[in-house]
Amino acid sequence: MNTKKLLLVVMVAFSLQSNAQRFFTKGGEIFFNATSPASPEKIEAVNKSVVCVVDSKTGAIQFSVLMKGFEFHSALMQEHFNENYVESEKFPSAVFKGQISNNEIVNYNKDGVYTVNVKGKLTIHGVTKDVESNGKLAVKDGKINASAEFNIVLKDYSISIPALVAEQVAKIASIKVACSLELLKN
Amino acid sequence: MSRKKIKLILLALILVGAIVAVYIYKEVNRKPVDTASTKPDFVNTALFYLEEFQQLDSVAGKKYNDKLLQVEGMVKEVSKNERGFYTVSLGDSSSMSSVRCSIDSASSNNASELIKGSVVIIKGICSGYNADELLGSDLILVRCYINK
Repeated sequence: MNTKKLLLVVMVAFSLQSNAQRFFTKGGEIFFNATSPASPEKIEAVNKSVVCVVDSKTGAIQFSVLMKGFEFHSALMQEHFNENYVESEKFPSAVFKGQISNNEIVNYNKDGVYTVNVKGKLTIHGVTKDVESNGKLAVKDGKINASAEFNIVLKDYSISIPALVAEQVAKIASIKVACSLELLKN
Repeated sequence: MSRKKIKLILLALILVGAIVAVYIYKEVNRKPVDTASTKPDFVNTALFYLEEFQQLDSVAGKKYNDKLLQVEGMVKEVSKNERGFYTVSLGDSSSMSSVRCSIDSASSNNASELIKGSVVIIKGICSGYNADELLGSDLILVRCYINK
């Protein structure tokens, strides 16, 4: 085998290996809940088009979500969310970029459930903050179910609630993430 | 001020109050757009919409975001998540990009019957464009209704 052929084989092998390390979904879910004890009704929404990529080798993890994709049961609530609170026209997406800090405990090639710690930067409403949360990775039949729950302080992301309804909206929103990821094949 | 005038003013105030109360009640209880029965703002193919967003997504976004789009396209994939919700991807099977339609629960039965490669018409609210070089860029529609 001459040098050129050898180089090509190495490049192809490297390319296949690096692709095989990535798992992804375009249909993950994020649940948002900002219901307070004084809320007359539940202030909650779901987004079913969350994009998530996990690199099994490095533990890098990334989420992105379109803010206009959050579905509320009330049209008025959805309008207030997009127009007044998160200003979706100006800041169309929220992004998380982080790292599974204990990635070495996860065997992506073997069925199992792993509690992982994720640290990274979450950008909402144009504001980026450090976040850290525990989550769960369940490996089954070559797919991964990733789930996590954490809270965000709305004020931290410059999301201000008008005084008139301040008591009716929780100051801390709970976020639940649920994604079923599959191997990225190119 | 005569008693008659006071009565009239009170009556007017009660009437205005009632109108405001009815308006607030209706607004608070207003449901999102019923995509099944509402006439679409735009009618076109999946490939047409994708091409417009690929050219300049900011311009296309201003035109289509929050609007009810009717999309005709080839079914690339039908996926069901763990809670039973369907997403239908429309577009060219050789491309990574799709119009991703998050199906409304009222249309779930129709989604389960869709066949990969068939052509379907779906209506949904445009929530934006996910530009992604690695995974392929997608136009996202929510609360989608499948036309039979």
